[in-house]
Amino acid sequence: MTFHFQQAFRAVILAAFACFIMNLHLNGDIEKYVNPKYDLFSQTAASVFFLLFFIQLFRIWSRKNKHEHHCHHGCSHDHGHSRSPVKKVITYSILIFPLITGFLLPPQTLGAKVAAKKGTVLTSKRAEFQMQGETELDPSLYVHEGVVVDRKEIKQGEYEENMKRLDNDHVINMEDEVFEPYYGQINAEPEKYIGRTVKMKGFVYKEEGFQSNQLALTRFLITHCIADASSIGFLTEFDEAYTVEQDTWLEIEGIIKVTQYDGFKMPILKVTSWKIISEPDEPYVYPVYIKIK
Amino acid sequence: MNRSVRTHLLDVTGFIVIAAITYFVVFKELMKVEGITFHIPSSFLQLNTIFWSILIEAVPFVLIGVLIAGFIQIFVSEDRIKKWIPKNRFAAVTMSCVIGACFPACECGIVLVVRRLVAKGVPIYAGVGFLLTGPLVNPIVIFSTYMAFGNDIKMAGLRMVVGFAAAMIIALVVSLFFKKNQLKVQPYQETIRESKQKASFFVRIWDMLKHSIDEFFDMGKYLILGSFFAAFVQTYVSAQSLLQAGEGWVSSTLVMMGLAYVLSLCSEADAFIGASFRHMFPTSSILAFLIYGPMIDLKNTFMLISVFNMKFVISLIVLITITVFTCVSFLTWL
Repeated sequence: MTFHFQQAFRAVILAAFACFIMNLHLNGDIEKYVNPKYDLFSQTAASVFFLLFFIQLFRIWSRKNKHEHHCHHGCSHDHGHSRSPVKKVITYSILIFPLITGFLLPPQTLGAKVAAKKGTVLTSKRAEFQMQGETELDPSLYVHEGVVVDRKEIKQGEYEENMKRLDNDHVINMEDEVFEPYYGQINAEPEKYIGRTVKMKGFVYKEEGFQSNQLALTRFLITHCIADASSIGFLTEFDEAYTVEQDTWLEIEGIIKVTQYDGFKMPILKVTSWKIISEPDEPYVYPVYIKIK
Repeated sequence: MNRSVRTHLLDVTGFIVIAAITYFVVFKELMKVEGITFHIPSSFLQLNTIFWSILIEAVPFVLIGVLIAGFIQIFVSEDRIKKWIPKNRFAAVTMSCVIGACFPACECGIVLVVRRLVAKGVPIYAGVGFLLTGPLVNPIVIFSTYMAFGNDIKMAGLRMVVGFAAAMIIALVVSLFFKKNQLKVQPYQETIRESKQKASFFVRIWDMLKHSIDEFFDMGKYLILGSFFAAFVQTYVSAQSLLQAGEGWVSSTLVMMGLAYVLSLCSEADAFIGASFRHMFPTSSILAFLIYGPMIDLKNTFMLISVFNMKFVISLIVLITITVFTCVSFLTWL
């Protein structure tokens, strides 16, 4: 019997990938990476990794020379005994790099820095405008229709009821579940909502060009995974705004006004009350999927 | 002697790595208390989180791809595929593109299948059609593109239709200019396969899974590098500067095509990365990214050079670039 170190190492890597993903599901950190709607996919991936690990176990030990696996089918895979050691070390370093960083480093919630890179509330408007010549603003950005199975999914009727509440309630309460559609509506026709009160949570984002009494209260919208996050939120005004630091989570109530920013009409909240809160368990908001029928 | 020393070195290195992983896993909590995360810049933590989120969303699709590729390696013989190829040039190109479309493969694996096919007498233009549509148009790519763009069928549909049209055009142009098989090493008699037929079903399934594992390790590193690069760009490059680099659809399309080339992403996963640029670039540029990437990219170029003539590879790359750009532009103009 021969022991194949490299095959054993591969088994360890497969198991490590499976464990990492399972671990994320067990401790709930998975929500820091992907939209919970897609949990089933990563669970499947973990199971497949476990299966492959199981298969791989049988390749660790073999009878003498049997590992000269003939490549019947014209594949040119690296079957674990072909390349130069240096190349192997590089290959495996790349493969274990995410495992090390994944196990070692905690996931971090996206914050103001990323919002700045992505171009946030105010700048994204400008970007959209630049592009409007070529692409129409996708209406599905706000309302995704489709038959999907997930906990964020709501029925058509329920959705309409929510949207009615947006029009009728005295205080517009931007709960996580309705944040994205409400935001879309208010942003689309700010004039319609002038004078209404909004209650919302978000993190503080400031950029150059803000006055000392201004800050943007922002949430990240996650369509699939945090790589596709885009920040949505409102510009707010209150006297003490300069005392609040970037990335602080606030809960505010404010009255909608309309302002001009760089020649664009946009809603702004005149804050009537605010308080600092701790980062919520679910920092992100997700698009609403309406179940048809 | 020298060789065995080196092998041992490799073993030792590997062992140290395993020990290190174990150490990190076991003592993770301990290290947190001692504040190791304190020393790591928060931008790197952010980078790492984005990096893993891309991996987590891509990995299920990569695994499906790997399993199906393993299945095809073991269960579908090239002989059978070859028998279906008609004599007529146009019919052959159409046929090869259609087969490619039903043949879920990664661009890394398909080069070798194409080499085998061409060596067995399949005309080069049919091989090219197969090479281009294989990774680009197939059920898994359709599905993952559909998912990546927030359950929107439009992007997946455009990707398939425009990609297929571009592949047809490229294969037909190749059929006009290249007659010989263009292989670097002329085919030799293959001495295999007979024993394969006798293998039992269970053994073949087992082989297939083993192949899947090898395929995963083969392309896993490209996926990881691609995800890391994408996460890096997201963390450190601001959207504003990218937008400036790619202002106007001509330059933004070129930027996205360049990106697709350098990233060398697997077609099963690149939709997610393409989607992450959605709020920076117009749809047509993202479409160019999605079509160009699976057809040709950096790692694929190396594989092609190892199989085909240099002249042919360069012509093919130029041809693909021009055709994809023209097709996407045509769509914008419509």
